[in-house]
Amino acid sequence: MSVGELVLSLADNKQLLGLRYAEWATRAPSLEADIAAAAMGLDDIGHSRVLLGCLEPLGEDPRAADRENDAGAYLNLPYLDQPWTTWGHFVAANAVLDTAFTAMIQACVEGNLEVLQSRLRKMLMEERYHFLHGRSWLREGIAPEPLEAAWREAVEWFGPPDGEVARLHQEGKLAAGPAELLGRVEERLEMKAPRFEPDWRAWDPRRRRSRPGAIDARTFGMLRGLEERKFMPSGASRGA
Amino acid sequence: MQREYQRVHQHVKVYEVFARKARPEPLRQIGSVVAPDADLAAAYARATYDEERWVEMKIVPKEAITTLWAPGEEVAE
Repeated sequence: MSVGELVLSLADNKQLLGLRYAEWATRAPSLEADIAAAAMGLDDIGHSRVLLGCLEPLGEDPRAADRENDAGAYLNLPYLDQPWTTWGHFVAANAVLDTAFTAMIQACVEGNLEVLQSRLRKMLMEERYHFLHGRSWLREGIAPEPLEAAWREAVEWFGPPDGEVARLHQEGKLAAGPAELLGRVEERLEMKAPRFEPDWRAWDPRRRRSRPGAIDARTFGMLRGLEERKFMPSGASRGA
Repeated sequence: MQREYQRVHQHVKVYEVFARKARPEPLRQIGSVVAPDADLAAAYARATYDEERWVEMKIVPKEAITTLWAPGEEVAE
């Protein structure tokens, strides 16, 4: 895995996270939480665009043509494959996964690649409010299942101790390796990840996940602009 | 479809939101949010009121504000 693939993984995960947040913009437990869900969704979709814009200056664009037709070509985590069914899923993603992505962005900003240092810094300021939101709701208490799933996927996303993230850390492109990244998330959330040993043999180093699967068809259609076309007047053509 | 909002938090506070667009301007109240703690209130204030380019934003628990007088009340002699 190259730094470009890591940035693409961040971009895909943030795009899906943003879409999943937005799905709760009218379903959260209070009006304020609805608004926060919409705002955080906008933030993360914007962050995804900034990250995608870093690929060319990094000298590589790992996006293949199959992204147009194959939902499995997206590098998102299983947690984001399907719409969340409970508010607890939202909170676990907001607290754990969003903070994990932020820890990686911080490692990029503090690394030695100038394009990431300069372009990703503003995200850290915006992510501060995602963190406050997620941690505060997490303190209210949620069911253990989504929380454990989010922690497991965060650990898997950081990768094995001798994997590519560790190598990028040794090269100075990232300011932290997998263990430091996990430690930063635990420190910020003031809690420990459940102890488990991922099956790294079943782990896909490109998609940074063990579980097979892909984004649901409706969301994938939305990413490709197909859902919006359903609302076009009959007979209208693009650009008309 | 009508939707009724039900707060899941048992104990919430009102936080007044203050902001300004430029250093020479005084902070002014731009609205309020309801939250169980200052962290969530900060996240809500930023999400709700960030459509303008504020150079500064602060929140204050409404209960921390002492009213000297207000419209409709008699001024203490």
